Amino acid sequence: MSERTEVQTALKREARYLYCVADTGESVSLGEIGIEGSEVYTIPYRDICAVVHNCPAEPYKSSDDEVVKAWVLTHQAVIDVAWEKWGTVLPLGFDTIITAREGSDEEQNTRNWLMEEYESLKKRIEKVRGKAEYGVQVFWDPKALAQNLTETSPELKQLEEEIGSKPKGLAYMYRQKLENLLKKEMELKADECFKDFYARIKKHVDDIRVEKTKKTDQGSQMIMNLSCLVYIDKYRELGEELDEINKMDGFSVRFTGPWPPYSFVSA
Amino acid sequence: MEPTRNSHATLVDLLDRILDKGVIIYADLIVSVAGIPLIGVNLRAALAGMETMLQYGVMQDWDARTRAWEREHRKEKELSVTSGEEVILEMLGSYHYSEGIYTAWRMGRIYLTDRRLILYHSSFQEVIFETPLEKIKGLAIETEEYFTERKERENLCLLLEAGNIARLHAVDTHKLREAMDQEMARLGVAWQEMPTLPMRDERAASFLDDGEEIACRGKMWYLVALPAPGGLISETWRSGHLYLTNKRLCWWYDFERRIVFEIPLEWIAASTVETRSLGPALGNRRVLDVIYQNDPGKQVASFSGDELWQWDKALNRIVSQPVLVSAGEIDTCPQCGQGAPVTELLEKGCAGCGWVSPRLKKEIPQAASSS
Repeated sequence: MSERTEVQTALKREARYLYCVADTGESVSLGEIGIEGSEVYTIPYRDICAVVHNCPAEPYKSSDDEVVKAWVLTHQAVIDVAWEKWGTVLPLGFDTIITAREGSDEEQNTRNWLMEEYESLKKRIEKVRGKAEYGVQVFWDPKALAQNLTETSPELKQLEEEIGSKPKGLAYMYRQKLENLLKKEMELKADECFKDFYARIKKHVDDIRVEKTKKTDQGSQMIMNLSCLVYIDKYRELGEELDEINKMDGFSVRFTGPWPPYSFVSA
Repeated sequence: MEPTRNSHATLVDLLDRILDKGVIIYADLIVSVAGIPLIGVNLRAALAGMETMLQYGVMQDWDARTRAWEREHRKEKELSVTSGEEVILEMLGSYHYSEGIYTAWRMGRIYLTDRRLILYHSSFQEVIFETPLEKIKGLAIETEEYFTERKERENLCLLLEAGNIARLHAVDTHKLREAMDQEMARLGVAWQEMPTLPMRDERAASFLDDGEEIACRGKMWYLVALPAPGGLISETWRSGHLYLTNKRLCWWYDFERRIVFEIPLEWIAASTVETRSLGPALGNRRVLDVIYQNDPGKQVASFSGDELWQWDKALNRIVSQPVLVSAGEIDTCPQCGQGAPVTELLEKGCAGCGWVSPRLKKEIPQAASSS
């Protein structure tokens, strides 16, 4: 194959970029709202459909952050439109592209996928119906907590007092001991908080995923990172519970959403 | 605390989801994604707070441990039943949990065993509801309008000891009921049917006066006027339930769990239905405007929901009743008792129930055969 025909093949819009699976059997166009102005439409199978646009059979990639950002936001915006229109969607990750394979074209492949996964997709639709995903992140201020622990734990307090009266070499060892003990106490405390918050949040949600905590740039430390699946009319109760945690000394909460249920649809 | 989804402040949260999550398609159908993770790396690195706590030393082990604990804790386990206990039926379902101001339908799997009825949340490994079969005194199936679906659904109501009522919903409520009937017959326990359920509507039970009866009820949006900064009034649609009783028209605000709008029936002057935009989230919907008279003059309350024409009809009946009675040519339909002009009743039949006079009945087949 010459280079020229290769380019032409690649540019032919012979693949389907998937945004989400929606709870409707309608065959309809949503207009040119897709990535780079592509027309977004549905490929139905029975009472569900894939929301797609036609694209070349190669992934979207760019080293320009702004371009990637625009794509990602568009991906989300299309899902939002489908979500609002049909009530329940199963979102796909960015850059999921179905292509032609083994004598079956991309359109047929998309339909085949819906057909083969139908039962499983329907089950997931039922799982997330009437619900949305919310992000909950709890932070604490480790300095304030360490301070607090040193003041309240008699063991730590005694160690700290003793340091002052020891000669230099011994004081160094005592300081090491103090730090180790403090670390242990902090972890115990974090454990306790995690379980307490988890139990309190659980009451207001249908399901939870615990995500990796992340490093934060300021002085605070993330001790909890949750994705919560919540009934649409119940998110305020979750918000009220989070208010209580947010009010606690040295703690703060970040509450994001509503997101399409990204964390609750992977089979 | 209100959740935020401002596209700038929560881009990281969006990326976490959009790049790592969502429905997964098996690899042989999709374009190869080798190198794709790179797409996010630059952008993610550019955003603060994206690194995991790897460097953090102190909390790293803790974080891994905590997640392991949680995974273990939430690992979806089947309900363990005691030896000799047999699971007869298993299906998805939910239980109406209500304690204090907190009420919710909690989802799980319903297990009917030869001894107990259980609702179990497998993710949280929590028994949400449980009762020995012999403690069930009676049961009935009720229908209610369901919140997130447009249709009605059926609930299974169990009468328990001390007059307590438990409400369950199952994927197939009738099948569950049949299985329960069989089990009870096998155990030789007879239960009483519950012909009249105690007030199934807990909302209504909390505000109805003695002798007050509900004529119409339904989930309904209501246009609430709120004071906005600068002395302005901002109007927003709130979700709740509208009730028409034999005394008043009132709207229950779901969020505050109380009646926030009520007018006596005598105040109602007219009602109309038209299609209006309820804003970007709700889109175009039919709106019921109720015009009512009170001291300062005429006012309008706007509602939106299902079956508005029935509400409109019910309200117009209230409005027109006194007029109808005073007019001479009005009679009541012999079948449903609704008031209508005599000529209309005789020539067209009753618009309410479809009754037609015997004479008209004879004419209709003739007209049909002659055409």
